[in-house]
Amino acid sequence: MIKVENIDKIYGRFKAVDNVSFHIGKGEIVGLLGPNGAGKTTIMKILTGYHYPTHGTAMLNGYSIYDDLLKVKESTGYLPEMAPLYDDLTVIEYLDFMADIRKVPKSRKKEEIDRVIQECGLTPVVYRGIGKLSKGYRQRTGLAQAIIHSPDILILDEPTTGLDPNQIIEIRKLICDIGREKTVILSTHILQEVEAVCNRVLIMNHGKIVAEGTPETIRDQVQKDDRFTIEVSGLVDTNVVKALEAVSNILSTESIDGKTVIKISAPKGNSTGERIFDWAVQNGLRLSALVPEQTSLEDIFRKLTNQAGV
Amino acid sequence: MNIKGLIKKELKAYFNSPMAYLVVLFFVLSLNIFFFFFGQFFGKDTASMRSYFSIMPVLFILILPAISMRSWAEERKLRTDELLFTLPLSEFEIVMGKFLSAVILLLLMIVLTFPVPIMLNMFGNFERGAIIGEYIGTFLLGLAGLSVGQFISSRTSNQISAYIFSVVALLFITFIGQITMVINVPKIIDRLFSYLSLSTHFESFEKGIFDTRDFSFFAIITCLFIYLNVKVIKLKK
Repeated sequence: MIKVENIDKIYGRFKAVDNVSFHIGKGEIVGLLGPNGAGKTTIMKILTGYHYPTHGTAMLNGYSIYDDLLKVKESTGYLPEMAPLYDDLTVIEYLDFMADIRKVPKSRKKEEIDRVIQECGLTPVVYRGIGKLSKGYRQRTGLAQAIIHSPDILILDEPTTGLDPNQIIEIRKLICDIGREKTVILSTHILQEVEAVCNRVLIMNHGKIVAEGTPETIRDQVQKDDRFTIEVSGLVDTNVVKALEAVSNILSTESIDGKTVIKISAPKGNSTGERIFDWAVQNGLRLSALVPEQTSLEDIFRKLTNQAGV
Repeated sequence: MNIKGLIKKELKAYFNSPMAYLVVLFFVLSLNIFFFFFGQFFGKDTASMRSYFSIMPVLFILILPAISMRSWAEERKLRTDELLFTLPLSEFEIVMGKFLSAVILLLLMIVLTFPVPIMLNMFGNFERGAIIGEYIGTFLLGLAGLSVGQFISSRTSNQISAYIFSVVALLFITFIGQITMVINVPKIIDRLFSYLSLSTHFESFEKGIFDTRDFSFFAIITCLFIYLNVKVIKLKK
């Protein structure tokens, strides 16, 4: 659906996007993740035809952004970072305008406008002037505009900013529904959003893609070892703790409230869990907890975007 | 053509804010005040509308920028330009959509002046052809002014500077021919200036003369600035 090949975008002396390539298939929801200024928005602007890349090409829905830009624009829906709304129009007038420009057939226009009003929860503000709407409603009106023509490709730049938690959940659910049949690419710096919505993540930093894959595969790439937190009742003799070194690296040992908490890391796939259990049994210890620790996407994100930077 | 939707939206945006009403009201009121009070139409006792139309160039300098200033500056302020350029419309269609909606407003203003000549017609023997010619000239002058204003709006970041720059630009190209009355310049430049001046070309319409050279001058100015507007937008990509 979306095919991006070796795209560069240079603004004056600043290289906003540096040799980026990726493919996105139908029915995928892909998250573009990265710190501010990583080049996410620039990529979206290129995909929507607002900017041309300095080098490289992109194809959307089989149409090139150079040769068939109008076709590209017809098959995409776009919500920029700041919802593009006309303050002088009412919500319904705005949606009517977008439906006209997006070539929604006259016979289906009312039906489609009603659909997006429903889906984006705009019913209470339909006849209100956009200039008087709250940030949440503005964002939702922006989203309604992007999906009014049921585009094959939906491009959303930070779609949930300014929404309250309930609205965020609703909008994410909507995006998931759309993503079942259509292609969605969304940018965000909220990591839970990626885990909640996306099938695949592209992590960007300084204009480059630094990691790509499902949240799990990225985690595997970054996290080279398994980590466990072991909690044992009572105090543990230092020699007994040392015995653990046969299994793993000991990161820390501390006693809290009559419990000993040991943190270890071990190479992957070594059935470390079982071996810790054996160690406890052999030494007559009572395990009160054995918790495998997953590196959160947040840690991965920090790791990936810091090592390449500065 | 998908441009209809855009025109509809532009007009709604004009009329949902008080701006359009104020501009139209200001135009009609000041035109008639100047004509009847300052121009002393009844005192002159001639069956000519010429002084009615001779006010147009000055009035347009103030009025047209007020219409065209929002064209792009407003889009940029609301960040809707990003939306507009990602819609399935070509740059030319977008520019034309905006231009035509401003032209519709211009037509409305012109139509609202019709009652005056119609009423005056009852008082004396006015030459119909002259008045029609004068109206055509007014319309063409308006087209040229709007295209200049819209172009300037595309180069400025807010409405106020768009307005001021447009007023200055229109003032300049309207009265460039009259500069030579104040400063001494070689004959050739004098002729060039008066050729480039909008008011020179408007004057013949004002006299009731319909000259294709004047007609094409306004057409060229209008097309040139529409072309420049499209070009500027494409270059920004």
